[in-house]
Amino acid sequence: MASNAAVPFWRAAGMTYISYSNICASLVRNCLKEPHKTQSISREKVHFSISKWADGKAQNPNSCVSLAYLII
Amino acid sequence: MAMAALRREGRRLTPIIYSSNVAPRSSFIPEEIAPMGARFISTQILRNRMKSVKNIQKITKAMKMVAASKLRAIQVKAENSRGLWQPFTALLGDTPSIDVKKNVIVIISSDKGLCGGINSTSVKIGKAVYKLNAGPDKETKYVVVGEKAKAQLIRDSKKGIEISIAELQKNPLNYTQVSVLADDILKNIEYDALRIVFNKFQSVVSFLPTVATVLSPEIVEREAEAGGKLGSLVAYEIDGDETKGELLQNLAEFQFSCTMFNAVMENACSEQGARMSAMDSSSKNAGEMLDRLTLTYNRTRQASITTELIEIISGASALTG
Repeated sequence: MASNAAVPFWRAAGMTYISYSNICASLVRNCLKEPHKTQSISREKVHFSISKWADGKAQNPNSCVSLAYLII
Repeated sequence: MAMAALRREGRRLTPIIYSSNVAPRSSFIPEEIAPMGARFISTQILRNRMKSVKNIQKITKAMKMVAASKLRAIQVKAENSRGLWQPFTALLGDTPSIDVKKNVIVIISSDKGLCGGINSTSVKIGKAVYKLNAGPDKETKYVVVGEKAKAQLIRDSKKGIEISIAELQKNPLNYTQVSVLADDILKNIEYDALRIVFNKFQSVVSFLPTVATVLSPEIVEREAEAGGKLGSLVAYEIDGDETKGELLQNLAEFQFSCTMFNAVMENACSEQGARMSAMDSSSKNAGEMLDRLTLTYNRTRQASITTELIEIISGASALTG
């Protein structure tokens, strides 16, 4: 029942289902024991650069480096 | 550089051949065509060219090897990731022909080149989808993943680009990365239907350009009520306290991230496969070119040796006779 109660909260905090599930996944990964922990955390690396366009020109790209910032 | 060498070679070779055939062999040959007293074509340019072709062949062979080993690792992952979107298609169906107002076309391409025509294929298909969905009261936008599709779209449809994404493959691809990307796309753009264009991996030599459609929750609800392909969705009971709208929104978001993940994986896999076959054919071409050059080189060498022999022999016979 706890998950049902939690639904409005994360949605109200401006999160999407994707970011909510990513945070949950990261918490689960942190609960693993050692050899598996580093392995699965290495699958969490996020790196890409995204730039919005307006009137046929690219604005400054801002690169998203790691999800770790999101969680802390 | 190689082309420049060839051009230089051509410019220098023709007058020498011409003069050695027609003009009497003497110091009449002008200084700029050949050095004083030179009687044979210099083979140095040809030798340099052979060396450069050989080096290019080595590079393409190495690139083929690298692509082959990367392909093996990513192929398994890509085929496994198909299990992520298949349940969604079973539940919601695939409706590429749906007619909605706000269309977003997500074109997936690679950051690096030298991989055959897969990037131009996805751009071509993306433009066709754009044309199909463009209309006076419609908004159609591009989201471009990868440098190569961006470079091609900038030429004639840069007004339509809304977001561009690059450097996705710096680290090995993983679900977290693609889902954060999908999240960023969803936050920055309004959509009724997302159409993801990518190359589906079939085998090392064949890639199927594919369009995957993800509908927004409102459209799914509208279509479900109207019946048709999504009509069976009404039959499902919803467990828990969630309303249907909330559930469909969660579902649409998750569906988009899963479909994106599969699309990115399939495209990366196709990229490596295409690069492998492209590099294979270019090493073959380099080999053929090398054979031709070697033949020319040996012929020229043989000709000069023969000429020298004839000169020595005729000189000797003139002395004895």
